[in-house]
Amino acid sequence: MNLVCCIKQVPDTNDVKIDPETNTLIRSGVESITNPYDLVAVQAAIDIKGRYGGTVTVITMGPPQAEASLREALSLGADRAVLLSDRAFAGADTLATSYTLFKAIDKLGRESPVDLVICGKQAIDGDTAQVGPGIATRLGCTQFTYVTEIGQVDRTGGRVTVRRKAEGGSEVIVGRLPAMLTVELELTKVKRASLPRLIDALRAPVTVWNAESLEAEAPRLGLKGSPTWVRKIFSPPLKKGGPRFDAREGARVAVDACVAALLDDATFAGHVLKH
Amino acid sequence: MATDKKRVELAEIIPDKCIGCQLCAGICPVGAIEMVDGVARIDPAACIGCGKCADVCPVESIKFERKKRKPAGERKVGKPAGVPGYEGVAVFVEVLEGQGASVSWELVGKARDLAGKMGTTVLGFVVGHEVEEIAGEALAYGCDDVHVIDDPLLGTYLSRPYGKAVSDLCTTVKPEILLIGATLAGRDLSGVVATILETGLTADCTGLDIDEEKRILLMTRPTFGGNIMATIFCERHRPQMSTVRPKVFRLPEKDVERKGGIHRHAFEPPAGEPPSVIERVRDVAGAVVDITRFPALIVAGKGACDAESMPMFQRLAGVLGGVVACSRPVVESGLLPYERQVGQTGKTVAPKLYVAIGVSGAVQHLVGMQGSERIVAINSDPQAPIFGVADFGIIGDYKIVVPLFIDELERKMKSGAGGT
Repeated sequence: MNLVCCIKQVPDTNDVKIDPETNTLIRSGVESITNPYDLVAVQAAIDIKGRYGGTVTVITMGPPQAEASLREALSLGADRAVLLSDRAFAGADTLATSYTLFKAIDKLGRESPVDLVICGKQAIDGDTAQVGPGIATRLGCTQFTYVTEIGQVDRTGGRVTVRRKAEGGSEVIVGRLPAMLTVELELTKVKRASLPRLIDALRAPVTVWNAESLEAEAPRLGLKGSPTWVRKIFSPPLKKGGPRFDAREGARVAVDACVAALLDDATFAGHVLKH
Repeated sequence: MATDKKRVELAEIIPDKCIGCQLCAGICPVGAIEMVDGVARIDPAACIGCGKCADVCPVESIKFERKKRKPAGERKVGKPAGVPGYEGVAVFVEVLEGQGASVSWELVGKARDLAGKMGTTVLGFVVGHEVEEIAGEALAYGCDDVHVIDDPLLGTYLSRPYGKAVSDLCTTVKPEILLIGATLAGRDLSGVVATILETGLTADCTGLDIDEEKRILLMTRPTFGGNIMATIFCERHRPQMSTVRPKVFRLPEKDVERKGGIHRHAFEPPAGEPPSVIERVRDVAGAVVDITRFPALIVAGKGACDAESMPMFQRLAGVLGGVVACSRPVVESGLLPYERQVGQTGKTVAPKLYVAIGVSGAVQHLVGMQGSERIVAINSDPQAPIFGVADFGIIGDYKIVVPLFIDELERKMKSGAGGT
């Protein structure tokens, strides 16, 4: 079984806060982490390898320091790591990103055909969930998003069965291999590496590919290959808010005053009385 | 202002101001910016002085004056008439259990708005099997023309057949904008269609507008977990694609008298054997509550995350005709299930009444509830950001405040006192 995982290094968005005084972002000391969904993807691939044998290759596109995420994947049990790094890749939107990752998967596939590509459902910095479907479309392979369980992977019969989220519930669906899956967090728990494995992962070689090694078409890469552009970035507007009633002392008076004010408000009163 | 030998102005970072967000490093077309000790650093040998970094910097930590060059985002000015040959604002009408999804109608409403600014028409794309009635409904909600692909192979949603059908419609009809609801299927579909058409796609937009001069769609969305808003545009590729979550825009009035054209197109399925669904499990009715459907939500936050108070919150929900929902920490504590979570990683809601109890109001939460008609916040911390979005606030301990609130509300409701 030839398994490929696409992962991304992201800033830990939970640490990002807004300074209410200046209305600017406080991001000092924000660390880079591996996108949590992608770690689940790597673990899922390692579990499949445990069931059927095979190799797990992890790919990431990013600056040289994204290597840290590849080493984390290696420590979990991935066999091979490929860093796609080139100034030409910088500034890629989801279309250019899926093209670059596709070119890398295509290159790996020429060495040995790829059975499954596994990605996280989305990255926590952009939350777009577009790169996985982009890769599947370019590969022309089966696409299963929001996967919560991976069932049988039948390489001889050329089929994979998964459970995935669908509107109002879930479905079990079977499709042809090769396939691209994007996974939900609940699919599996990431099993943290032991110390010897961590050390091995630090020593393991990481393959680096640039635009030339991918034989990629330059106009389809990075900023040049990105149809979407950012016009403006701003902090969400902070509103002033309406009247406040201080109930820390004399709670009843404050609450009664608030209820009176609420019932004076046509929208609130309209809803409450109708109900 | 630093300049190089050719006197090109170079951008400079003010390290004290830099917050290490990496946006500049991402946008730099020549990769001249790298992060050193959490602060951006510009390589003067590689910098071409385009000024893109200064444009995206959210904290103005990049010194760059434009004397000779225009801002990068505005340099490539398109033809004011948009891209020739493409016309109309299209909405993908999603079919859910034989009915048009309400998010699709919300988007038709928004599309009317956008089409009005551009002086063009609203198109409905209806794909599925036995969808005649839904095509008629699309006209009633505001489409001028509806394009239909009706085929037994499209009876259930599958990525590739639907991706092919919708991208084929785009190739034939050539809309300049395509809007898709950010449902599970919609998000799956949009990535496929944008890749086939090699066009730009912006996910989960919370605001859509038209730059009337350039005739382009301005798509605003939260990014970095909802901490920054970004306005994105797609100038040279068509259609400009955007997904929007349910309840972001208002449902328009339905007018059954509205007339328009319905055009049928044949389906040419993609090559290869499609996947087959072998089992479908519906969440048991009642076991899973859809919080987006209730007119009132009582929302417990981290500050009110205790099992003992739940009956009290349910009582308040009963009085106001709603249900109990929560913020992310409450789900993480295991007190309430994920489907009750409001916010960036949960659901976007827009009820008539939103009563936030012990919710601090992290940006990630706020982006999921700002569309609520009336927001009431109860919190012991007067500095809590939730008060900034609340129409009414009570500062105090919820364990004391909520019982008093319920009593007073019931008393007033019984006596029929009200402002209207």
